[in-house]
Amino acid sequence: MRYILKLAMIISFGFSQLKEHIQAANEAIGQALIGLKDVPASLALIFTSTEFAHSMVLKAANNLLGEIPIFGSSSQMILTNQGAFKYGFAILLINLNQQTFFNTAAVKNINEKTSLSSGEELANKLLYGFKNVHRSLSIIFSDRLITDGTNLINGLQENLGRSFPLLGASASDDFGNQKTFQYVNNELLSESCSGIIFGGKFSFGFGIKHGWMALGKIRSVTAADGNTIKGIDNLPAVKLYEDYLAKDTLELAKELRRISISYPLGIYLQGEKEYLLRNIISIKDDGSLITQGSIPQNSKIRLMISTENSRLKAAIEASEEAKRNLGGQKARFVIIFDSAARLALLGRQNDIELGVIKEVFGKDIQLIGISTNGEQAPLKSINYLGQTYLHNQSINILAIGDQ
Amino acid sequence: MLSFIFISICLIVAALGIALLSKIQRLKESADKIATLNLSLEEMDEQAKLIMRTDMELNKAQEELDKKISSLDTLQKLSREINTTLEEKQIFKKINNKHLEALGFERSLAFLWKSLEREFRLYLCLGYGEEDPAKIETAVNANKDFFLDLIHNRSTASSEFAPENFLSQDKVRQLFLTQSFIICPVLTQEGDQGFIFVGTQDIDAAITKGDQEFISILANQIGQTLDNARLFEKTWKSQQELEIKVEERTRQLTQALEEVKKISRRKSDFISSVSHELRTPLTSIKGYAAILLTGKLGALPDEIKTRLEKINRHSDELIQMINDLLDISRIESGKVDMKITSQDLKSVVDKIADLLSEQLKIKDITFSMNIADNCQNILAARGQIERVFINLIGNALKFTPQNGKISVTANRVNNTIQIDVKDTGFGIPQDDQEHIFEEFYRVDNTINQEVKGTGLGLTLVKHIIEAHQGKIWVNSKPGEGSTFSFTLKVAE
Repeated sequence: MRYILKLAMIISFGFSQLKEHIQAANEAIGQALIGLKDVPASLALIFTSTEFAHSMVLKAANNLLGEIPIFGSSSQMILTNQGAFKYGFAILLINLNQQTFFNTAAVKNINEKTSLSSGEELANKLLYGFKNVHRSLSIIFSDRLITDGTNLINGLQENLGRSFPLLGASASDDFGNQKTFQYVNNELLSESCSGIIFGGKFSFGFGIKHGWMALGKIRSVTAADGNTIKGIDNLPAVKLYEDYLAKDTLELAKELRRISISYPLGIYLQGEKEYLLRNIISIKDDGSLITQGSIPQNSKIRLMISTENSRLKAAIEASEEAKRNLGGQKARFVIIFDSAARLALLGRQNDIELGVIKEVFGKDIQLIGISTNGEQAPLKSINYLGQTYLHNQSINILAIGDQ
Repeated sequence: MLSFIFISICLIVAALGIALLSKIQRLKESADKIATLNLSLEEMDEQAKLIMRTDMELNKAQEELDKKISSLDTLQKLSREINTTLEEKQIFKKINNKHLEALGFERSLAFLWKSLEREFRLYLCLGYGEEDPAKIETAVNANKDFFLDLIHNRSTASSEFAPENFLSQDKVRQLFLTQSFIICPVLTQEGDQGFIFVGTQDIDAAITKGDQEFISILANQIGQTLDNARLFEKTWKSQQELEIKVEERTRQLTQALEEVKKISRRKSDFISSVSHELRTPLTSIKGYAAILLTGKLGALPDEIKTRLEKINRHSDELIQMINDLLDISRIESGKVDMKITSQDLKSVVDKIADLLSEQLKIKDITFSMNIADNCQNILAARGQIERVFINLIGNALKFTPQNGKISVTANRVNNTIQIDVKDTGFGIPQDDQEHIFEEFYRVDNTINQEVKGTGLGLTLVKHIIEAHQGKIWVNSKPGEGSTFSFTLKVAE
């Protein structure tokens, strides 16, 4: 469905942590509606913790919002100006420029399809009604596709174009086996991928960074298949971690999550400054490593390490890049897809990244976001030039301009 | 020529040889450099490994430290909040997602065993979907014996350690839909006990001994607060019951008092009307007796005269008694208009002493008066206060033997004046002391048997003093004398 918007962009935010879910939704939506001061909203961006992913909650939201289209996702952590919350219902009501267009779409039951075909189908649905409109950006949410997220991007790019900026996130968590959901208008979806495409007069800027640095010798992936690395330097892939951390496979398996988020693999990309990170999500009996996203055979890889400072610096750089790419326009609000791994490493101080983002955009900037397990964005943030990749452990900043 | 060519060739060969040797040398040097670089690279790689291992250990230690600080801080805050809660359900409501998060968990449940219903009841549920609590409650009750054993044995179960005869860790995971967990009993001194469950889906979050200790502290805190809440509720209920009882008793007493007042009023009214009715004929009797005694109606024989004199005397006594009764009933019913003004105490006492001087003289009794300077002026109705002194000094005179002593002293006690009328008389037995102010009560002694009295004098005195908002009491020892003390207000 294509929406034509008529008013200048106005936004209003609402957030609630009430224990009773429907009451919380009502409170947050109420706050946002009051903040909008009778201006009709064009779009509702909703991010919630998993507890709120219930049809009754969405129904309550639909009742209050009426015909306003909804796009959003549940996640393990909600990011707002006030901090990072493991529990809560956040909504951003947006009244977009009259020359801005958008379209929402979803593909259900992706577990019964290939990731590539799901991506192609989603792209086709998004483009419906957008034939004669200048396309700017698409935001994608997916779940249960961590291990094959790369192919979902490939499918989307087949129809949207290789250099079309795709930003998105997978909110699901293969480690914790936590189910996540997407909100698309009046549908609560799981085992799905969904997207929103913006076009017309729409200004945005984005930046993606991770802050990990390479450590140790360059290694070669000598045997790989999709997201399975079978051999590194002609040895079983797990040997790399065994060797560096002085632990056997069993010990590694026991602490895999911690090891994986602290020391991911970095893929060297020809001509790119940053390494593309990959988390290890499991170790197979034959010593193969299963990664969150594919690693091509013959890739040059290294083990990566970070410090709190390097990660914070990356958050600043991503924010500055997003701000720079707005081309001098003032950012109206910022959407953040922040890797759950980064937030886990920050522990109790998980809101300090939000602090540095606010420092870059100004303390009054409206922030909304989720913790993710796989982020999608072009490596180069210069629009229309970068190919979208599936990232791990990154912070993805999308600044929407006040046009 | 040939030799020149030979020499040239030799020179060329030699030069080539030198060049070759030089190249070999350079190659050897390069190989050495590569070997050195390779060695350095390997060493750096080893250093990288060392850095990574150290980094991992440091991160772990930092995480554990952060977790402990966070947990301690949270426990302290929670303790403060829980401690001030005195309602059972509110205790659990104090625990929220933020507390849990700070303790390193995102899910929590608390169950209390309801012994009457013989089932576990859910009191706290955090971090679960809307449909989960009911399912979990059913599952817990299906396995209630295991949880009751856990409480009974005061054992803690966790994803790292399961006590004997408890559910397997996988079964608990399945039951509570959570990967890593701690279950700790909530023990109380009285009433229903239960258990608290905390869990996390974060597979990194291995449950440590520290975690178990923290949750155990929290469970103990909840148990103690439950005890406090129950004790408070019990005390509060008892207090409520007591208040109701006191209220009921007060109502009954007020009712009884009203009844007594009503009866007393009726009695006063009765006495008043009877007294009036008696006084009229008595006045006539006394009048006629007096006329007959004057002899105006003819001379009377001595015997008749003696009888008439008796009639006259007894009539006087009866009239006195009736007047006293009337006064008492008037004072009781508030019908006496007490004109309370400032009076000179000394002049009042002087007047009474003068009035009784003849009798004092007859019995050779020493009368003394000692009124302090700050007690000169009293607030009183002159006529009424004179009656008080007449009665008290008159009584003293009556019960004090020959050559005795009677004294009146006045001392100031705060804003009141205490007046003591002391004699060296026979004294009043202890048992009689508490009754002497009652109507018609007369102490059983020889004097009373000889000297007639109405038994209303002290009752009247008491009523007059009370009408002056004062108090009256007696201190007496048989054989040593009596002191009647009363208070009056100071006239400033």
